[in-house]
Amino acid sequence: MEPQSPKNAADYYKHLSLFWTDIIHLMSSKPQALASVGPMRAFASNAKKISTEMIAINESLIGFNQFLTEYYKQLSETWDTAQKKVNLKMPDVPQDVEQMEAFKRIWVDIFDNDFTELFDSEKFGENYGKLVSKELELTKHWNNISNVILQSANLPSKEEIDEVYKELHSLKKRITKLEIELKKGGNK
Amino acid sequence: MKSESKIDPKLLEEILKFGKNVIDAPKLVSAPDEISMEVTPHDVVQEIDKTRLLHYRSLTQKQHKTPLLISYALINRYHILDIQPEKSWVRNLLLQGFDVYMLDWGSPTSMDKYLDFDDYVNGYLDSSVEFIKNESSTEKISLQGYCTGATLATAYTTLHPESVKNYIATAPVIDGWRDTTVISNLAKHMDVDKMVEIIGNMPPEFMYYCFSVLKPFEQGIEKYVNFFKNIDNKKFVDSFLRVEKWLGDTPPIPGELFKQWIKDIYQDNLLIQNKMYVGGGHIDLKKINMPIFTQVAVGDHLVSPECSMPLHYAVGSEDKTLRMYPTGHVGMIASSLSQKKVLPELGQWLAERS
Repeated sequence: MEPQSPKNAADYYKHLSLFWTDIIHLMSSKPQALASVGPMRAFASNAKKISTEMIAINESLIGFNQFLTEYYKQLSETWDTAQKKVNLKMPDVPQDVEQMEAFKRIWVDIFDNDFTELFDSEKFGENYGKLVSKELELTKHWNNISNVILQSANLPSKEEIDEVYKELHSLKKRITKLEIELKKGGNK
Repeated sequence: MKSESKIDPKLLEEILKFGKNVIDAPKLVSAPDEISMEVTPHDVVQEIDKTRLLHYRSLTQKQHKTPLLISYALINRYHILDIQPEKSWVRNLLLQGFDVYMLDWGSPTSMDKYLDFDDYVNGYLDSSVEFIKNESSTEKISLQGYCTGATLATAYTTLHPESVKNYIATAPVIDGWRDTTVISNLAKHMDVDKMVEIIGNMPPEFMYYCFSVLKPFEQGIEKYVNFFKNIDNKKFVDSFLRVEKWLGDTPPIPGELFKQWIKDIYQDNLLIQNKMYVGGGHIDLKKINMPIFTQVAVGDHLVSPECSMPLHYAVGSEDKTLRMYPTGHVGMIASSLSQKKVLPELGQWLAERS
């Protein structure tokens, strides 16, 4: 498997990393079996998750940077256009208090209008949505890495805690419904 | 090239004064953290999970028979309706002889990520209504919803019309597709499933960002310039800091509730099409057949009038009133205009039906 393009390169290094972490894990599992209750054993058995997550983080980071660049590009282009409009309307430096007030009003109005138009636009909304989505992917990878560390210390993962929250929520709902039924029964 | 500049000394004087005001500011005004947001005396009469039902103490000897419950928005806290005595929505209603309750949604934590529309509408809101009915020995109450609180109150009113005598919708979020605000544009492009799956509750910082992009230069620069310019004006400064503190105090929104709100209101626009369901119950706006008073602000940049007004035309009620005011989202509830015009009109309408 030879890397040809950036996509192939990522797959290649992912494969390489998985291959060696798996092989090392298999080779080292026998002597390590003695320490099967220790944190390092748990960490080692899940360590490959960290390396795959690290590779995936890089992929998400590329996407994140792409949308972040577009985000700042849109902001700076809007700033340039708005500033040009201000310069056309108020070409001279304000000389007294009234002129300064007028300048401030025009500056704020033009900038507010142009930026609101940008934030209202399809292209901004779409890029911003993708930017947030990529940021969420980065968070997800970070959560997955944290879970490996948590599990090595025999602590519950985020998903396990979420399960408890879900169960609690469902129990609370059932109790509330039962209380209402009970109340209705009592009233009868 | 000839360049001649004749700068008015008064302008320099203004700039120097502004600089002095910035330096003097900490000596003259309190830090937002030192300001108490509790204005009108009240009692906490019911607590369920993190929510609190507040009952404001009466300011008149005689009161209208039907109590009023306010369902505040999910964004920021209820304090804006009682921001300071001379601009307090609650205090004004108390002085008009109404018995006022407020539902404080509290600050959800990670544990509350599965709370959904059903919990808020058929749980917290319904429990509050039932409590007030028992407490005041009435069969029906008046309900007011503000902003997203009006979305919840609207859903409640359709599902429990037998408990609502009068419904007041103040800047309600109803028709997401007609909404022309920046918030609506961001919401339409949001991968809300992914957001809730990964981070759970909607973080307050994200909400704050969404609001900071509304009128960015007026809100982000000009208002602070005005603050420092008026640093000697105690009344202005007090009002400014209270509103700023309120703006910065945004609790997270429970993940599941946020997901349904974004999808059903902004992305699929189910509420106005009578296609929304809450806890298995069908939200049919035609079931709102009690007197309804809809308040809309023409300059609202958070919930545009086009988003709120369709409620007036969609309900089944024959006794319906729509009022439009020349102000903004916050101006409608916490300003001198709200005290002089919005509240007296509401009070008169409500008194005739309470």
